[in-house]
Amino acid sequence: MKLASFRKKSPWILHYNAGGCNGCDIEILACLAPKYDIERFGMINTGNPKQSDILLVTGPVTKRSRERLVEIYDQMPEPKVVISCGACASTGGVFRGMYNCEGGIDQFIPVDVYVCGCGTRPEQIIDGVVQALGILEKKTKELEESVRLSKKPVQEGRQLNRRNIADEIKPLVS
Amino acid sequence: MNNLLIPVLLIILAPFIGGLVYGFERIVKARMQRRIGPPLLQPFYDFLKLADKRRMIVHSAHAFFGIMHFVSLWFAVGVLLMGGDLILVVFLHLLSSSLMILAGYSTRSIFSHLGANRTAMTLLAYEPVLILIAVSIYLVTGSFDVSSVYKMDQPLLYKLPLAFIALLLILPIKMKKSPFDVAEAHQEVVGGVELEFSGIFFEAVYTAKWLDYVFCYTLVYMFAGSNVLLGIGLMVFTFLYLNALDNSSARVNYRQMLRFSLGVACSLAFINLLIHSIF
Ligand code: SF4
Repeated sequence: MKLASFRKKSPWILHYNAGGCNGCDIEILACLAPKYDIERFGMINTGNPKQSDILLVTGPVTKRSRERLVEIYDQMPEPKVVISCGACASTGGVFRGMYNCEGGIDQFIPVDVYVCGCGTRPEQIIDGVVQALGILEKKTKELEESVRLSKKPVQEGRQLNRRNIADEIKPLVS
Repeated sequence: MNNLLIPVLLIILAPFIGGLVYGFERIVKARMQRRIGPPLLQPFYDFLKLADKRRMIVHSAHAFFGIMHFVSLWFAVGVLLMGGDLILVVFLHLLSSSLMILAGYSTRSIFSHLGANRTAMTLLAYEPVLILIAVSIYLVTGSFDVSSVYKMDQPLLYKLPLAFIALLLILPIKMKKSPFDVAEAHQEVVGGVELEFSGIFFEAVYTAKWLDYVFCYTLVYMFAGSNVLLGIGLMVFTFLYLNALDNSSARVNYRQMLRFSLGVACSLAFINLLIHSIF
């Protein structure tokens, strides 16, 4: 029995609104309500990044929220997956091109599943989460490990040279 | 030999039993809301999943406090099930809660601090009642030992009915159930003291919650004395009462909670003590 098979059985969800109109957030809450009841798959809306597996993001990233978004993503322990929920989280949607928004969360954090719709339906969200669970199960810790992309600075004479210290990106082998 | 075997087995299996109770409770709670609810073994799935997550700690003392919280709570459950000293049980339990409060204060997160403050408040709310109950048991049986309760010919419930009601009133505070869940308050302080734990260290805190179930239901069972049927009846009643209350009430703030527990529950236990010692 491998531990990885239990990831699928208890995905804990963290929900973050990066400045959307709240339409998608209400649909996410509708998933938790009696009609769709995603708790029967063991999902809990934790609200705590340190204990959750799935990051559900709604909203185009406003300039205020992008640092928080990245920080929340950083605080989640691996393995984790990110679902971008709704048109505006995926591409910017109705907010695209506005002066206070970036378009889409995938400019800042890696996204695994995109769920479409302006006002996504609860069924779509559940489908997206189920697809994300498949990805979550396949993920390994090595795949998620942060890699250092810089070499040590070079001592040249009396100077510490920090130019050309970018490491070449090695392809990740799974 | 035989009467030692059952408590020892119960102590060893305590986290497992608590997990089953927690899983069953989630189903019952869901059914009360006309949902289907998670499978019975869901807490164990969560447990196994958390073991697989990457380990992150804030600092080593924080993780240590979390684990010690679990260990000392297990000790409290052990002493309670072996029929040991009730005062010792109450203080071991107090120790485990204070370790959690220390863990809350030891990080720099404000949510963790708020949670620690609130946990301290809940300690203030239920601990006097627990001690009053221990004192009334002493007056009834002449000993602080839990085993003396089981030796009585009459269930404790008939002697101390008001103390049992007081226990019922503080149990939601202890188990962090609504309306007295200010300490945990998932929407306000995101779990309070347990906020900064993650991965395998959160597991200790999560399993400690299951041990708490065993602890509380053993306290309830104690009131039935040697009457097993009454004991089971009391536990089932408490289970349904707690879940119904949790589902049907909204959170009160900590002042209201303190006023309620010190005003109503504490005085109920005290009146019972007075009545018993006078008549
Ligand atoms: S996708 Fe549409 S409904 Fe959802 S948050 Fe964005 S604007 Fe609102």
